[in-house]
Amino acid sequence: MRSSAFSFATIRDLICFGLTGFGLVWLVLRGAEQMGYNWHWRQVPRYLFTFSEGVFIPGPLLKGLVVTVEITLVSLVLAAAIGLATVLLRLSGSFIGRWLARIYLESIRNTPLLVQIFFLYFVMAPILDLGRTTTAILALSLFEGAYASEIMRAGIQSIGRGQWEGCYSLGLSRFQSYRRVILPQALRRILPALTSQAVSLIKDSALVSTIAVYDLTMEGRTIVADTFLTFEIWFVVAAIYLALTLTLSALANGLERRFPRIA
Amino acid sequence: MNNIPEATSQDEVIIVAEHLCKTFPGPVMAVDDFSIRVRRGEVLVVIGPSGSGKSTVLRCLNGLETIDSGRIVIDGIPLDNNEKNRLAIRRKVGMVFQSFNLFPHLSVLDNINLAQCLVRGKSKAEATAVTRALLEKVGVGEKIKNFPDELSGGQQQRVAIARALALHPEVMLFDEATSALDPEMIGEVLDVMRALAEDGMTMVVVTHEMGFAREVSDRVVFMEAGRMIEEAKTEDFFLRPVQERTREFLRQIR
Repeated sequence: MRSSAFSFATIRDLICFGLTGFGLVWLVLRGAEQMGYNWHWRQVPRYLFTFSEGVFIPGPLLKGLVVTVEITLVSLVLAAAIGLATVLLRLSGSFIGRWLARIYLESIRNTPLLVQIFFLYFVMAPILDLGRTTTAILALSLFEGAYASEIMRAGIQSIGRGQWEGCYSLGLSRFQSYRRVILPQALRRILPALTSQAVSLIKDSALVSTIAVYDLTMEGRTIVADTFLTFEIWFVVAAIYLALTLTLSALANGLERRFPRIA
Repeated sequence: MNNIPEATSQDEVIIVAEHLCKTFPGPVMAVDDFSIRVRRGEVLVVIGPSGSGKSTVLRCLNGLETIDSGRIVIDGIPLDNNEKNRLAIRRKVGMVFQSFNLFPHLSVLDNINLAQCLVRGKSKAEATAVTRALLEKVGVGEKIKNFPDELSGGQQQRVAIARALALHPEVMLFDEATSALDPEMIGEVLDVMRALAEDGMTMVVVTHEMGFAREVSDRVVFMEAGRMIEEAKTEDFFLRPVQERTREFLRQIR
C-alpha cells in the first residue's frame, strides 16, 4: 500500500518536473528567438573533445573540468582537515586555542570569498611565493573549512554528555573518546550538512577563475570571448557543474545508506 | 579527622574521601564537607532525597566531577589534577549510569570490547572471549551481535554492567542504575548487582531500592543537602536510626 502511494507520488512528481522543464526550455527558446539569437549547437562539441585520427583529444571545457575537479578534491580534503582542527581547538581546554579558532572563524565567515581570494593572491602569494593553483586551493580550503568546522561543532555538541561520561568512566582519553565514540556518531548526523557544504565548494570554486586559474568557468569565459557562443557554452558549463554536484550528492547518499544507524 | 566514618573491619581501605566540597554555579552547595572510607569488598549504599548530592559524591569518586576542596584517594592513588592519576583511577573504578550510556553506533560486542582493547591493550580475540563470558554471566549472551537500541532497558543496563566489569575494576559505582527502568526489569538488574556483591566486589550504590539496600549492603549512608546526616551498619540503619531526619525519610519511603 505504501509502495503504490509512493509510485503514484513519483509519477505525479515526474510529470510536474517534466512540464516545468519543458516550460523553461520553451521560454528560453522563445526569448532567444525574439532577441534574434542564432543557435550554433553544432560548434559546441569540439570545445568538449575532438577525435583526431581516432585519438581522443580533450577540448578546453574538459581540461577546465579536470582543473575544477582537482582543485575541488584537494580543497575538500584540506577543508575537512582544517575544519576538524578548528573545531577541536574551539572545544579544547586551551584558552589560546579557543581564541585562535574564533579569530579564524569570524574573519573568514565575515568577509566575502572573492575578497579573500584577492587578498591571498595579491598580498600573500607574492610574499609566500605561491602559485595560482596553490593560492586558489588555499583560499577555498580556508573558506570552506570555517563552515565545515561550524557544522562539525553542531554535530559534536549534539552528542549527549552521557557518551563522554561513558568513555571517561571506562578510562578512555579525550582523544580516544573523540575518535572512537564522539566523532563517528557526530559524522553520521552531519553528513547531509557536510554534503551541501561540499556542493558549495564545487560551486564556489568558479570564483578562482578571477585569478586566472583555468578552471571550467575560466575556459567557458575564454571560449565565449572568442566565439560569442554565449548561450550554448554557459548552458554546457552549467550542465557540467550540475553533473558534478549531482554525482557528489549521489555518492554522499550512498555513504549515508551504508551507515543507517543514526543515533 | 575523628569525624570520618571508618571502615568497619580491619580489611584494607580502598576508597578514602575526606572533606569533599563541591559547588555548582548558582551557587548551590552540592556536596558539603562529605567524608567516607570504604574497605575492599564492602557494599555501601547511599540514599537520600533527590538533589541531596548523592550522585555528585559518586561522580566525584571517579573524577567525572571535580571537587572544589577535599581529598580523594582510590587504592592508594590520589585523584588530583594529574591526568595520569585520573586515568589510572578510572581504570580501577567501573561506573554504571542511570541512562546506561552505551555507545549506540557500536554493537554490544564492540561496546564491551572497545575499552578492553584501548585501555587494557588486549587483542580483539582476547577481548571477545572476556566479553562472551561476561555477557553469559549477566544473562544477555544471545544479544552479542545486536545494537543497544534493539535491547530492552534491563538488557542494556546489564550490558553496561558487563562493559564496566570487562576492565576488571576494583570498585564499581552504581548511579541509580535501576531508576530509568520499567518496573518489570528492575529485578533482573538488581539480581546481577546482588551476584556481584556476593562475588566480593567493592560497590558504592546510589539507589532508591530500599529492599536491595537492606538485603545486600554492609553499610548505609543517608545524605541531605550535600551533607552526611547518618551513617551506620545496614541493620542498625534500618532498625535503629539515630537521627530524626533519617527516621522521617524512612517513614516516607515506606
